Amino acid sequence: MSVVADTLQFGDAPAEYFGHSWYAMQHVPADELAWLQLSTLQRRFSELRDRIPTLQRMASESGIESIAEPNDVVPLLFQHSVYKSYPASLLLRNRFSELTRWLDRLTTLELSAVDVTDCDSIDSWLDRLESETELRVLHSSGTTGTMSFVPRSTREWDEMGKAFRCGLFQYSDPLGTGGRHDGEWFELIWPLWRSGRSAITRFPGMALPYLLGSESRLHALRPGRMSSDAAYLAGRVNVAAARGELDELEINPALRVRREEFEREQREMAESLPRFIDETVRELQGRRIWMLGTWNVLYNIAKAGLEHGLENVFASDSLVTTGGGAKGQVVPDDWEETVQRFIGVDHVQHCYVMSEITAINKMCEHGRYHFEPWIVPFVLDPEDGSPYPREGQHTGRCGVIDLVPSTYWGGLISGDEVTLSFEQCSCGRTTAHAARTIERYSDKQGGDDKITCVAAEEAHRAALEFLTGELA
Amino acid sequence: MVETLTELTAPAFVRGELIADDLVGFGGRAGTASFLSPDPQRLLTAVPLRDPSRLRDLQTLPFEEIVTYLEALGHALELARNAHLQEALAFSEQFSDMTAPLVRASFEQLPALFASEAVRELADATVGIPYLEDWVPRTMADGRTARVRAFGARTVHVIAGNSPLIAGLSIIRNAITRSDAVIKTPSNDPLTALAIARTMGDLAPDHPITRHLSVAYWKGGDTSFEEHLYQPANVEKIVAWGGFASVTHVLRYVQPGLELISLDPKRSATVIGQEAFSSPETMADVALRTATDVGALNQLGCINARVVYVAAGTDPDGLERVNRLGEAIYDQLHRLPQRLSTRAKWFDPELKADIDGLRASPDFYRVFGGADGEGAVIVSQLAEPVEFHRRLSGRVANLVPIADPAEAAREMNAYTQTVGVYPEALKESLRDVLPLHGVQRLVSLGYAAHPSVALPQDAIEPVRRMVKWIVDESCDPDTTTPLWSEASNDTQAQKEER
Repeated sequence: MSVVADTLQFGDAPAEYFGHSWYAMQHVPADELAWLQLSTLQRRFSELRDRIPTLQRMASESGIESIAEPNDVVPLLFQHSVYKSYPASLLLRNRFSELTRWLDRLTTLELSAVDVTDCDSIDSWLDRLESETELRVLHSSGTTGTMSFVPRSTREWDEMGKAFRCGLFQYSDPLGTGGRHDGEWFELIWPLWRSGRSAITRFPGMALPYLLGSESRLHALRPGRMSSDAAYLAGRVNVAAARGELDELEINPALRVRREEFEREQREMAESLPRFIDETVRELQGRRIWMLGTWNVLYNIAKAGLEHGLENVFASDSLVTTGGGAKGQVVPDDWEETVQRFIGVDHVQHCYVMSEITAINKMCEHGRYHFEPWIVPFVLDPEDGSPYPREGQHTGRCGVIDLVPSTYWGGLISGDEVTLSFEQCSCGRTTAHAARTIERYSDKQGGDDKITCVAAEEAHRAALEFLTGELA
Repeated sequence: MVETLTELTAPAFVRGELIADDLVGFGGRAGTASFLSPDPQRLLTAVPLRDPSRLRDLQTLPFEEIVTYLEALGHALELARNAHLQEALAFSEQFSDMTAPLVRASFEQLPALFASEAVRELADATVGIPYLEDWVPRTMADGRTARVRAFGARTVHVIAGNSPLIAGLSIIRNAITRSDAVIKTPSNDPLTALAIARTMGDLAPDHPITRHLSVAYWKGGDTSFEEHLYQPANVEKIVAWGGFASVTHVLRYVQPGLELISLDPKRSATVIGQEAFSSPETMADVALRTATDVGALNQLGCINARVVYVAAGTDPDGLERVNRLGEAIYDQLHRLPQRLSTRAKWFDPELKADIDGLRASPDFYRVFGGADGEGAVIVSQLAEPVEFHRRLSGRVANLVPIADPAEAAREMNAYTQTVGVYPEALKESLRDVLPLHGVQRLVSLGYAAHPSVALPQDAIEPVRRMVKWIVDESCDPDTTTPLWSEASNDTQAQKEER
């Protein structure tokens, strides 16, 4: 295989490039990794600059014609707010043609031919985009009253799923010599909705073909779909309640005919814990499972399980994956121990996740989050946004360029403060790695309008109550 | 930035006495600098005026003596010859949200604030000098004679640090109302109130006005201190300025006998009529005035303009006009004099991220400036403000095109303090409507950041609330029918029967 072909595969199909070995992904010699990253970055930039209008505009405004070294791309990283830079009224008033035009500026996919004039809700809009294009938009939780839309396509989701699979053999095949592990599947206990369009509810859909192999291995505690309209309304209800403006909240009339669906969602929320205790545990007891969730979701399940007298319920080689930070809550000291005791494992795998990127960056045995090799991280000065040198360790705002995306621009400036090292980690992995403490700048600043993520679950319940009440 | 000075010690000023021992460290805002102040616990016994009869000395002062005292204080507050203010200015670099030229300009306004005409106007327009001076008699319809007098009260002022003038104004209000003040200084301005108090100590250490002022710092929300201070036996009123957090901290202590005068967090807006586009000269004038409302004091005040509604219409011609106006306002922002507006000391990176995000949507937003923290004008291309309009700061305005000025009312509520309006005639039609939505002050465009302190504030009259309105009624049974008489018990019908 020629060097050029190699590089192409590194960005286009990382799982194949690394022979389906997570060990290989994390142990590329530093020089080689730097070369792979830079050449792929250069290729992505030249492929995408004239095909993504927003990138084209930024490149011409900043006069950037080419990328000689990674830091050259920093002026072209998108602020995370780019993905919510549409006027709120477009969403509130069902102006989906304009929203589609807005989204069209962020992707290479051809959206202008899609007729969305008859769409009257977020769900129907995303349904239409999915049925007529390769686009599989992911949106944010919406808890702040606005919703970000990231135009990921089936290609990126597939590569993400394949690459994610490699990492799940980290304990059973630590040196990654076992190839694809064909026919080996995981029983996923999924604590949320089976489907939806938020980053997290997209997960089962992504995992199914590559990690589960069959619907029967997906044990969703909430079997239905999470409505994006309900999620959006949840954020708005939350914000309106905080401002004492709940009475003025307008509800999309199109939602009125969907009362049954929202009642089903409401029911599934209430039933998920009992379902887990009564059905999932009985079915999977003693077997190897994989469970994934934010700390508070895992902790609540474990606590409920222990209260029912259940302990060490699953096989000891089960996998527990978590990420997503404290979520604005005080994390109990014993949460991890509680989860381990309930499931019956001796560790929990922590990850640094960012819904906008295609990698789930795992923590090593030295407590450092390692970026997957197709993610090029930057540490930016939190005040002026300029990049710090790509050596040593720095604390600042995390920027990344994700080299997998080929239909949208993978460059992003996050809202996170990270302490990132470009030096080799004592665990032996060669990728850049971040310290355990990661904070959101908006949390650090406080702010009266802030609503935390954990409230999301509460808010969602409140929104569904509000909706079903209003529609009664 | 000047070299970091030695660590600041901010003593407490307690009734004419300076306390500078038992020092403990406190962090400034945003972790920039810290300072040393006396341990608040140690001040707990000294700060409150536990014996209310000790206000008697203020009660007997003639009003004119108060005016003379403040006038003399004003002269002593001339920056060029006041070492305390000079020190406060030097340290403001480390503590203030304002830049040095703005702090200097604010200090230079202090003497005028204390001038006798200004003090008399403030006293007379708010409470009325006769009521502050003596018992004011009035004969009531039922024949009784009432005498009403405005008494001082023991008050804690939790002041805001976004403008040094707030410290000066609080001291004047305390003096004219013959009250006893404990000023809790903010961490972003630990020195201005203290500098004025120390000047008072230099000038007239034993004067009752000096002896009824304390200035101290404690961390807002420090319950171990506040629970003891905020007792009706110590304090009758709390005047709380500013941030949501500071007002919420104080709310927990409010109880019968302890009144809260809340000067809540506010935002302000602007409404511009289509007359702004009648000629190039008019548009230039409107741009300068709007830039002034946005940029004055670096937009740190609640009185500053943020969202600017422009009734130019939302058709392409209208949008084109609003975009031109936006560009002109952005140009004018940079021409404002240094004493009025500078590049912001700190430009919120989260806001910058949000502004940069809008650049991805040229169909919906036009952004002028904002590349490196110098200020920006965002012009919405639809009739709605940006999602983050509540966080506009650092000289950032959001122009919103509307078809009819009345539409602006939609976005106004109790948080809307000031609305700058152009032209004058439009103000007349808006002033009967906007207050129903919560608006508290309408003002000619360009004057939003130039209020008169003698007028009502935040839809209340704070100085009238700072005094206690005491009544002495004289009733003579010959003129005012007594309750014990049969006549007062009988109904009219019974009387007629008899």
